[in-house]
Amino acid sequence: MIWQLDLILLIFLVITALISLRVRDLLGASMVFGIYSFLICLLWAGMGAVDVAFTEAAVGAGVSTVILVATVYHTRRVTGGHKRASGMKVLSLLLMLVLGGVLLHASGDFPALGDPTSPANDHPVAQYYIEGSYQDTKVPNLVTSVLADYRGYDTLFETVVVFVAGIGILAVIGVPTARMRREEVCGDTAQFGEDSDLIILQTCRLVVPVLQLFALYVIAHGHHSPGGGFQGGVLFGASYILLALSGGLREALRRLSESMSFRLAACGIVIYAGFGLLCMALGSSFLDYAILDSILPGGVAMARSHSMLIVEAGVGFTVTTILFVIYANLATRGKLEGGL
Amino acid sequence: MSLFFDILAGSLMAAGLIFFVGTVTGMLRFPDFYTRMHAGGKGDTLSTILILLGAAVHVSEDFFHDPIHQWGVLLVMVKILGIAAFLMLTSPTSTHALMRAGFEDAHETDETVVDKDQDGPSLEELQSRTWEERS
Repeated sequence: MIWQLDLILLIFLVITALISLRVRDLLGASMVFGIYSFLICLLWAGMGAVDVAFTEAAVGAGVSTVILVATVYHTRRVTGGHKRASGMKVLSLLLMLVLGGVLLHASGDFPALGDPTSPANDHPVAQYYIEGSYQDTKVPNLVTSVLADYRGYDTLFETVVVFVAGIGILAVIGVPTARMRREEVCGDTAQFGEDSDLIILQTCRLVVPVLQLFALYVIAHGHHSPGGGFQGGVLFGASYILLALSGGLREALRRLSESMSFRLAACGIVIYAGFGLLCMALGSSFLDYAILDSILPGGVAMARSHSMLIVEAGVGFTVTTILFVIYANLATRGKLEGGL
Repeated sequence: MSLFFDILAGSLMAAGLIFFVGTVTGMLRFPDFYTRMHAGGKGDTLSTILILLGAAVHVSEDFFHDPIHQWGVLLVMVKILGIAAFLMLTSPTSTHALMRAGFEDAHETDETVVDKDQDGPSLEELQSRTWEERS
C-alpha cells in the first residue's frame, strides 16, 4: 500500500466513472468500463488481494468488455439525448445523494486497513483459518483453502449461479429453430478463418494454445499461488472467445459446440456436488473432504488438498463453457451464426 | 557492479518513458486516424518493452551478487521477459486489427498526409478490392 499511488488510482477511478456517464457512444462507454476495471484491479493488487485482482482483470476488464461490445453491436449504439432531466432522474439523484452521504458518514467508522484488532481479524474463526489452515490442508494459499474447503458451500452455489446465468441467457435470447440448423452446419469442416485477416489469425494461433496452457496452470497451481477454478476457467473461456473473434464463431463452435458446452457445464457441477455426496456416502457430512483419505493417497491433509484440486477443476469446467456460451449467444442474438 | 545495474536499468526505463512521451504527443497531435494509430502502436510497444527490460535488469542484479543463493530471481526475470515477448506479439497485432477496422469503416485520410491529387487508387477503390489484390 503506497497511499500516493492509491490516491492517483482513486482519482482516475472517479474520472473514468464520470466519463462513462458523459459519453453518449455506448461503445466508448464500454471501453471506459474496461479502464475502470483495470484501475480497480490495480487497487486490489496493491492491497494484497491478488486473487480478486486476477479475477477482476480477467472478467471485468477482459471478457465483460467483449460481452458489452457484443451487446452494443446488436442494439442502439448511442443513448438517447434527453436534455431535460425528468422527474424520475431528479428523484434518483436525491436518493443517491442521501445514500452516498450515509455511506461517507459510515466510512469514518471503518477500522484502518490491516488493523489487527479489527473485528474481521480479531474473530476466533479468522484466527483459526490463519493458524490452522496449513496444518489442516497443506495448502499455502489461504484464499484457496477458505474458498474450496472451509467455505465449500459458498463456492458450490456460486458455480451453480454461473450455470444458471448461462441457462438464463439461453432462455432469453436463444433461438431454437436456428439452433437445430446450426447443428447440421457444424458437421462440415469449414476452413479455419478463411475470411479472416492473416496477421490476426496467425497471432491468435500462437496465443491461444499458450493461453489455454496457462489457464490449466492457473487452475492446478491455485493452491500455491493466486488463481483457481474461476480465474483459470475465465482464461480458458477467453481463449475460445479469442478463437471466435479471430477465426469466426463457426470454427470455435466446431471445437466446442453449444450442446457440448452445456454438457460440460453440468458436468462441472456434478463433479463438485458429487464429491460432496461422496463424502456423505463415506459417512461424513457434505463436502467434508477429510473423510476421503481412505480413497485418496497422502493422509488426511493431502486428501483435503487433492479434493480441492478436483473441485476447482469442476468450477473451471462450468466457468469456461458458460462464458463461451454467453458470448456466442450475445454476439449473434442467439442464432449462433455470423457473429461480430 | 551494483551501480552498473542501476544505471543500465534506470536508463532503459528512462528511454521507455521518453518514447511514451513521443507516443502521447503523436496520438494527440497527428492529423488523422491512421497516423495517430501509427504513433500509438509503434511507440507504445517499444516503450513498454524498454520499461520491462529495465525491470528485468533490475531484478537480475541480485543473481550476479550471489549466484548460488539468489538463482530464484532468474525465474522472475524470465517471467518479465515472457511478458515482453507476449507484448511484442500482441500489441502490433491489435494495432493492425484497429487499423484495418478503421480502413474498412472508411476513415478519411488527412490531405496533409496523403496527396489526393496524385495518381493511384483512391480509398474507395482500395476498399472495393479483395484482400489479395491489395497486397
